[in-house]
Amino acid sequence: MPQSKSILALCRHAPYGNTLAREGLEAVLACAAMDQTPEVLLINDGVFQLLQQNPEQIGEKNLHRNLQALPMFGVEILYVCRKSVEQRGLCPDDLCVPGAEITLLDDTGTFIGKFDQVLSF
Amino acid sequence: MTLHIVNQSPYSGCALSDCLDAIAEGDALILIEDGVYAAAGQHGLPEKQTFCLTADANARGVSIANSVEGIDEARWVALCTQHNPIVSWFK
Amino acid sequence: MSNLVIDGQEILLDKEGFLRNLDDWSPKIAEALAAQEDITLTDDHWDVIRLLQRFYREFELSPAMRPLVKYVGQHLGPEKGRSIFLMQLFPPSPAKIGSKIAGLPKPTNCL
Repeated sequence: MPQSKSILALCRHAPYGNTLAREGLEAVLACAAMDQTPEVLLINDGVFQLLQQNPEQIGEKNLHRNLQALPMFGVEILYVCRKSVEQRGLCPDDLCVPGAEITLLDDTGTFIGKFDQVLSF
Repeated sequence: MTLHIVNQSPYSGCALSDCLDAIAEGDALILIEDGVYAAAGQHGLPEKQTFCLTADANARGVSIANSVEGIDEARWVALCTQHNPIVSWFK
Repeated sequence: MSNLVIDGQEILLDKEGFLRNLDDWSPKIAEALAAQEDITLTDDHWDVIRLLQRFYREFELSPAMRPLVKYVGQHLGPEKGRSIFLMQLFPPSPAKIGSKIAGLPKPTNCL
């Protein structure tokens, strides 16, 4: 099925505290598996998904490790809100997903407005 | 233009402020459910194109500031058909 | 689906034939799981099974078709990184059937 609409996954929440981060990832993987590859914007606490994680001790699967599969599913660029990164005292170098390109955005509003569908997580 | 929908109280979380950080010139904003607690003003709402569900505000005893337009559900549906994309800020 | 019995030991399967305990996996069990799909494992099968397991170690999830094709292409070369090659090995649904035989969980986004 050809991709008829552009889709943005707006990922606003940190991993592990609730299920939204994982739900967002699974929705992105499901869309991509159906050849409707979304773009991904990590914003607000969503930028915490990009930190290195060791969740084994809390019995969770490693979300950061799962994110590394995104390029295999056709999501090769991860868009990240620069202001959210700076507000949280993070440095762009702290954020890394092997195989994916991280692109920092200054104007998220205009970026969001270009899509046909926005899925919030 | 984007339609942003916020349903959280500005006093309980970041949904509204996160939305306002990501709103573009000309976008519309609708406050619904507990989001209407922001409709009294004081939250740096855009001066244009900011709406509030009157029924939700009345239900909660919130008075709607002059810069915010109270609307009914039919108008909400109309706004949804007039804007694209629609972004939910529900958590 | 009925459970497997290997060397007198019962191996639990879910209703679609995936291992209930992923630690049960062994090459011998892979052969038995493959037999249930009417597949006889060749060297090409084993190459893909090892790659599926590597994919799972790397990303902690089972691949869908497209990422599997891409991953196979990266590691076994473009000749094999094609859906027709995988379709011949693990019909009719290579990501699902391959994951099952490799002892991976069912792909979550496999509809």
